[in-house]
Amino acid sequence: MRYVDEFRDPELGRALAGEILSLVETGRHYKVMEVCGGHTHSIYKYGIDDLLPENVELVHGPGCPVCVIPMGRVDDGIALAKIPDAIFTCFGDMMRVPGSKGSLLDAKAEGADVRMVYSPLDALRIAKQNPDREVIFFALGFETTAPSTALTLRRARAEGVPNFSCMCNHVTIVPPLRALLDSPDLRLDGFVGPGHVSTVVGARPFEFIPADYHKPVVISGFEPLDVLQSVSMILRQLAEGRSEVENQYSRVVPYEGNVTALKVMSEVFELRPHFEWRGLGFISQSALALSEAYADLDAERRFGVPGVRVADPKACQCGEVLKGVIKPWECKVFGTACTPERPIGTCMVSPEGACAAYYNYGRYATEREVV
Amino acid sequence: MTDCHGETGCITCGDVAIEMTVLRVDDVRLLALCASAGGEKETVETELVGAVAPGDELLVHAGTALQRLRAA
Repeated sequence: MRYVDEFRDPELGRALAGEILSLVETGRHYKVMEVCGGHTHSIYKYGIDDLLPENVELVHGPGCPVCVIPMGRVDDGIALAKIPDAIFTCFGDMMRVPGSKGSLLDAKAEGADVRMVYSPLDALRIAKQNPDREVIFFALGFETTAPSTALTLRRARAEGVPNFSCMCNHVTIVPPLRALLDSPDLRLDGFVGPGHVSTVVGARPFEFIPADYHKPVVISGFEPLDVLQSVSMILRQLAEGRSEVENQYSRVVPYEGNVTALKVMSEVFELRPHFEWRGLGFISQSALALSEAYADLDAERRFGVPGVRVADPKACQCGEVLKGVIKPWECKVFGTACTPERPIGTCMVSPEGACAAYYNYGRYATEREVV
Repeated sequence: MTDCHGETGCITCGDVAIEMTVLRVDDVRLLALCASAGGEKETVETELVGAVAPGDELLVHAGTALQRLRAA
C-alpha cells in the first residue's frame, strides 16, 4: 500500500537498527518513553523492541485516552446512561472500561440505551433522528479528538439540536508529561513524541522538555520505520549532547499544528482547574470542560452527575504501568485475573493500552526468550 | 460508516488517524464524503483543513479531517 509499505521495509529497518547500535554507549542504560499508546501498539505489534540493543529500554507513557479515565468518571457516565429515555453514546473501547459497579456495556445489558459511535458527528445524527429523547455524548481523548467534539458542539448550536449534550472528558498531553518529568521514581533520557496529537497542537508545546529538563523529543509517525528512526534521532541527540524538539513525522505534522483547530477548541472548551487521571491522581489544568458559552450543551450541568471519586482496584497496577515504572507483565494480575476479555484495569481495555498491546503481541517475545 | 473497530479495537479510542480520499463535497455544510483505502465511506468534517476537492487525500480522526496530506 502506498505510503505504508515504504515504512515497513525490512532492509531499511535492519539499517536503522545498525545505526542505533552505533549510537549507544556501552555501559550506559537508555530509557526512552513513547508517549502515545499508538506507538506502544506498533512497538509490540512489529517487535520493534527486539531490534534495539539491550541497553535501550522503551518505557510506555500515559498517552492512551481510554487508559487514563478514572473509575469515578465511568460511574458518572453510567449514571447519565441510566436517565430514563436517554440515549448514551460513546466510542467503542470506552464501553468496556470498568467502573466501580460494572461498565457501560453492563449498563446496556441491564437496559440502558448505550450506543457505540465512531465520531461525535454520529452522536449528533442520533440526536436529530430522536428529537424526543436526550442524547448524551461521552467525549474522551487527547487533542487529536477534542477538535471533533468542538466542531460537533458548534454544529449542534448552529443547527439547533436542543436534545444533544456532551459529558466532556478530554485531556491534554503536556501536564502529565510535566508530572512524569517531576516524578522522582522515573529517570528518562528522551521522548518519542505523539504524532497525531501534534497534528493538532504542533511541536511548540513540547519545547519545555528540552528547555526545562534538557531531554530530547522526537515527534514520530506510527509505522515501524518511523519509530525506529525516531529512537535513532533521540540517541543521536544524546550522543551529540543536544536536546531539542525534532519532527520525524513532518510528512503529516506541521510545526505550528492546526491553527484553525486550536482556535475552535479555545472557543468551545476551557481548562478544568484539575482532573483526576487513572493511576496518576489529580493533575492541575490537564483536562477540558465546556466553556461558559457552551454551558447549555454540558451534560454534567444539564443533568448533574454524582461526581464521586472511586479508588482504583487494589490489585490493579495501571498507575505504575502508565508512569512506566513497571512493565505490563510485572503487574500482579496481568494475564490471569486481568485479560482483554475481562479487564480489571484500563490499560487492558484499549489495544493502545500497554497491557493489552503486550498481551496481544509482546508476550510471544517472552515465550521466545524462554525457548 | 467506518467501523469503530480497527484490527483489534476502537481506532477512535486509540488516537488512530486514517488516510481518506474525498469523493464528494458539501461546501455549504463543510462536509465531505470520503473513502478509506479499504473502500469504507464516511462523512467527514472539513472545516479544519479549508476547501477540499474530490481526489484530495485527508488525515481523518473521529470523523474530522485534521490535515490535508495531498491535493488532487
